[in-house]
Amino acid sequence: MKRNIIVITFLLIVLVAQGAFAADKKMAKLPFVYTDWKHYTVKDGLPNDHIFAVKAYGDKIWIGTEGGLACLDKKTGKIQTWTEADGLPWRVVSSIDINPKTGEIWLGLFGGGLARFSGGRFDHFHQMNSGLVNDVVYGVAIENDNVWVATTAGASRYNTITGEWSIYTEKNSPMEEIWNYSVTVSKEKVYLGVWGSGVLEFDIATEKWKDYLDPDGEMEIDLYRDDGIVHVITTGVSYVEDVLWITTYFGMSRYDGRHWRGLYADETGLPSDFGNAVKGRSKNEAWFGTDWGVGVCADFATDTWVTYTMLPETHKGQVIVSRNNKILEVFDTPKGIPHNNVLWVEFDDKDVWIGTSKGLVLAKGTGYYEGLKLREVHEPKKGEIKTYAPGK
Amino acid sequence: MKKYFFGIFVIATITSVVFGAQYMRKRHPVYVGARQCAKCHQGKSMGHQFSKWLDSKHAQAYAVLSKPNAKDIAMFSGVPELPQESAMCLGCHATGAHSEGWERDETFFIEDGVQCENCHGPGSEYIDVMGDRDQAIKAGLIMPIVADCVKCHQRKDSHLKVHALPALNMDHAIKSIAHPIPDKWKITRMPKRPEPADPSANQYVGTFACEKCHGGPDKGYQFSKWRMSRHANAYAVLGNAKAYEIAKQEGVKGIPQKSPKCLKCHTTAYTNPAGGSLDSYNLDEGVGCEACHGPGSAYSQQAIMADSSSAKAAGLKEVTKQTCMQCHENAHGKTFDYAKASEEIAHPLTSEKVVEKTIYKTPLNMALTPNGKELYVACEASKSVIVIDVRKLKKVDEITAGSHPTDVTFSPDGTKAYVSNRLDDTVSVIDVLSRKNIATIIVGDSPHGLLTDRTGKYLYVLNTTADSISVIDTATLKEIKRLTAGHQPWSLTAPPKGNQIYVTNTLSDFVEFRTPPVSEITIIDTINNVIEDRIKVPGTNLLQGIAFHPSGDFALVALNRTKNLIPMTRLLQGWTITNGLGILYKDGTTAQVLLDEPGLYFPDPTDVAITSDGRLALVTSSGSNRIAVVDLKKLTSMIDGATDYEREHILPNHMGKSLEFVTAHIETKDSPRGILITPNGKYAFVANSLDDSLTVIDIDKLQAIETIDLGGPKVITQIRYGERVFHSADNAFRRQFSCHSCHPDGHVNGLTFDIEPDGIGIAPVDNRTLRGILDTNPFKWEGTNPSLQRQCGPRLAVFFTRIQPFDAEQLEALTVYICTIPRPPNRHRPLGAELTGAQRRGKEVFERATTNSGNIIPQKDRCINCHFPPLYTDRTRHDMGTQFEYDRESHFDTPHLMNVYASPPYLHNGIADTLEEIWTLYNPEDKHGVTNDLTKDQLNDLIEFLKTL
Repeated sequence: MKRNIIVITFLLIVLVAQGAFAADKKMAKLPFVYTDWKHYTVKDGLPNDHIFAVKAYGDKIWIGTEGGLACLDKKTGKIQTWTEADGLPWRVVSSIDINPKTGEIWLGLFGGGLARFSGGRFDHFHQMNSGLVNDVVYGVAIENDNVWVATTAGASRYNTITGEWSIYTEKNSPMEEIWNYSVTVSKEKVYLGVWGSGVLEFDIATEKWKDYLDPDGEMEIDLYRDDGIVHVITTGVSYVEDVLWITTYFGMSRYDGRHWRGLYADETGLPSDFGNAVKGRSKNEAWFGTDWGVGVCADFATDTWVTYTMLPETHKGQVIVSRNNKILEVFDTPKGIPHNNVLWVEFDDKDVWIGTSKGLVLAKGTGYYEGLKLREVHEPKKGEIKTYAPGK
Repeated sequence: MKKYFFGIFVIATITSVVFGAQYMRKRHPVYVGARQCAKCHQGKSMGHQFSKWLDSKHAQAYAVLSKPNAKDIAMFSGVPELPQESAMCLGCHATGAHSEGWERDETFFIEDGVQCENCHGPGSEYIDVMGDRDQAIKAGLIMPIVADCVKCHQRKDSHLKVHALPALNMDHAIKSIAHPIPDKWKITRMPKRPEPADPSANQYVGTFACEKCHGGPDKGYQFSKWRMSRHANAYAVLGNAKAYEIAKQEGVKGIPQKSPKCLKCHTTAYTNPAGGSLDSYNLDEGVGCEACHGPGSAYSQQAIMADSSSAKAAGLKEVTKQTCMQCHENAHGKTFDYAKASEEIAHPLTSEKVVEKTIYKTPLNMALTPNGKELYVACEASKSVIVIDVRKLKKVDEITAGSHPTDVTFSPDGTKAYVSNRLDDTVSVIDVLSRKNIATIIVGDSPHGLLTDRTGKYLYVLNTTADSISVIDTATLKEIKRLTAGHQPWSLTAPPKGNQIYVTNTLSDFVEFRTPPVSEITIIDTINNVIEDRIKVPGTNLLQGIAFHPSGDFALVALNRTKNLIPMTRLLQGWTITNGLGILYKDGTTAQVLLDEPGLYFPDPTDVAITSDGRLALVTSSGSNRIAVVDLKKLTSMIDGATDYEREHILPNHMGKSLEFVTAHIETKDSPRGILITPNGKYAFVANSLDDSLTVIDIDKLQAIETIDLGGPKVITQIRYGERVFHSADNAFRRQFSCHSCHPDGHVNGLTFDIEPDGIGIAPVDNRTLRGILDTNPFKWEGTNPSLQRQCGPRLAVFFTRIQPFDAEQLEALTVYICTIPRPPNRHRPLGAELTGAQRRGKEVFERATTNSGNIIPQKDRCINCHFPPLYTDRTRHDMGTQFEYDRESHFDTPHLMNVYASPPYLHNGIADTLEEIWTLYNPEDKHGVTNDLTKDQLNDLIEFLKTL
């Protein structure tokens, strides 16, 4: 009996002590933060460290680089590469999309047109042998049986069944400038991000165009905020759950079909207003690749952001969680993005692949959750707070 | 200040005029029809121009296409459609045949044949300014010259072959259709229609209203028969000199076409004014349907006419002798033979009498039902699938399929058979139990081979011309996706285990100019329905039949090794086209061997089958009517024992090696194509495509033991004989190849050849299609052969056969057969379809007369100048600036453009892989039409239009 009393008393003491200790930990509703990063560079078998495009498809990660095409087999971890010596028609692969029906891989070739990679065979389409409007290709996207190509001289649409090429320029669309930077598709629409002409929306059923321009004109400030796209020099566009996420050289935009919202570095967790690429994960979450790192709008409803940058001195990663422009968490990670010039973002279930000017990185999403969750707030160690956001 | 404002005003005015004119879009002219022209161009004071046309053969040009010999002409032109539905035939037998519906006013009728606007251009924009010739010309009026007539009236062998008429004397022809306007011309009104005799009576609707139902073959071409009769000219003839003479004799004063007395028997309405006429009626139709059958306003509706008693009650008259005698009795003192006249104008309301044609079966490929009891045979010519009882070796049924059935396969449960219809772009679904064709699936261009996956859930159809593979969901019979094949996928098979299908591609990939061909085996992953791999087979083309060894270790592929880069003189060294087998190992490596022997080739290896014990392979040679029996153990041992060098360089070219593994040859009937071995390994069936039979081979004895008659005609027509000659290598040196070797399906093999006598690699030329070529002579890129007889006779003997030219009978039969090779329907513009926006814009580019900057393009440099419809060739040679290093000539024959999308590569030497390259790479000096000012989208539009031709 005495023994039992002693044991119970001990347990009570432990529990009370634990509670007292727990009460010291700070809890808050916070987003998931990626802390486990794996780098891939030429040392790992990539043909080049300038990563222009990444496409996750099944067990494979297709990677477009300045020096060729690569494919990472996630099962084996092996990387296979193709350069011009292997039949790749042009070495600079600037964009990738895969036809989900046929499994055919379509490659935008910067300066070399377009290629179809199917069953190990490259088919080359360029402005001399096909109806492609221009060989400087920035973006490619599959819409049903059509391949859309964003080029420096307009957009092309290739019907893979009939073989018909259509060209969209200022002649037949509201394309004030013809420098097409990106293209993305939804079930009913095709969106072009055009350098100097905002976002153009193509209705697949009616083949009618609609433009989204900056109501403030070409001013590099947003005179009346949230009145439209922040600027017409658009570099990226991503559509998910009825929401358009847009990057420009002067800030980012979100459009839900009714309301516009301008997103700027000085108001949010964006590391810079100079957007290179964007990928929306949901209507609530989007990842913006900028010239100074990645800004993740982790929970649009609460304006909660996660900023990932590389600390130049140590090459370690740094994470900043902020809400309404107030920092909630800051901490370093042993690895992060390998370079702050971020050119591409690709989701792979919970994982995220990021293409940068100095290699590819996998952000492992073990335990990822959407939106916010009550969790312990990361307390910085002494001397750890050293935010790096030179783009602001 | 005033001066300042005046200056602004002047500048503004000038600017608005200049720019306004520049941007004022010229209205697109449309066809209005001869009757709109007749409003001015009729009557004595206008020289009876309209009546002269109406009484001419031009006005009957559409109608004559209903005659039986028009179909024969169409056949010799490779036109598979009915002549009145063929853009090719209508191109010269009607006006505006290549226009769209919106380009024809409702007053225009194509049934009027070759009418005013055919020569003078569509009239909507100049008809109102005809008083001023210059202004009218500016508005589009064309004053044709003889050269314009020649575009249609040039010699056409297809026509000569059928009607054997003497060559047209153009001077005489021009005189016969001359229709000058009198010096003192005056526009007068058309004669008035008669006043209604009884306003409550039926009204005339006009013969064109009757035509809507009574025009086609299902109604015996009744309208066309009337149009070719003198009844249809009855009004027109009142304008000729003889009519004036008769009128004078009969005391008619004035103009016969205005005389009620003349009009009473020369027009419908004056015969009996009845209740008057509707706007659709024209007096100029002469004696139309309603002259005998009564005014049709109450009975002409289709629903009433469908019931004879209703039609009769509504006023449809029964025609009796009395009906005719009203006008014909003692007309102008002539006797009237009623019986003879009735026969002349007979137009029975029955389907056109089908002229008994000799329709062969032409079996191509076969499949066994999964239970092994029945054999289904796809028969190209009879549009059917013939069912063979395997035990009795007898034909038990014939099931109708589509056009050109080519291959057949079964669902794994054996309940359904699927048949590819090459000319229809469809697959017929046959219910095996009822032997009925129960559904049709739309697929891609020219489907050949087809096969299901192991589960039967998916059907894979090879769209040969489209270089694609349709994946069909067999539950819904809908295409769910289209995969990219190699170049012209042909046949397919599945390995004994696994989830793959191997596809042969009959044409080489596009390779760099003057490099050897490389063909592809495409492998489909049937789990994910994607292309898994593409195996390249170097130095080959015409990869056709394929079969897997039961071990799954390798597949055999029938193939050609065409050395198209060497001069044809090497033919004498026996080294131009060799024929063999490809061995495709499961690790993706390949080997090749020849089935030829030094003195005796094995031309056109077409299909292959392997016995279930894996001992033997049987290969058909459609060019020599034989089967090669291959001992597979010997074959694999030989390959396994070879060094890498020997495997790559010696075995694929060594003609003596076949003696080591070909253990026997078995004779078949004409042109064996598909071959199949029963699962028990006892028998093989061979489809003798040009004998309408199956050869049955006893595998143990390696002997043909039976010939199954498929029931085709026993008579061998000249065309059939020619078809046999075409597919036989008997006349080629050492039987190396047949016409078919370079022209599979009568088309192209996609290669360029050095076939000239110089023997030093000069003047390589692209292979050209044989489909529908008869009227496009001269032949050869250099245009030196005026006829097919010369092309296939002396020329073939000199360059191909070397020692044994075709004899006269063979040559005539061969050329006749070649003429009948059908040109498939255009897949980019279905018959009668409107043009798409891009095609329409492309047509404008094709026909344009000015550059983008407004400069006039010289006539000779316009696309349409040399490529004018309906053949789209002027049949002469031009310097297009395409003379290259190896060419000895600079002037090349203008190729026709029909189905041009289906015959890459392009230009005389096949240097352009795509249509785009013709202009982006090989027209730097604008010699091949003025195109360098075109923007990229304009070039795309032009190409979209070209694809519709």
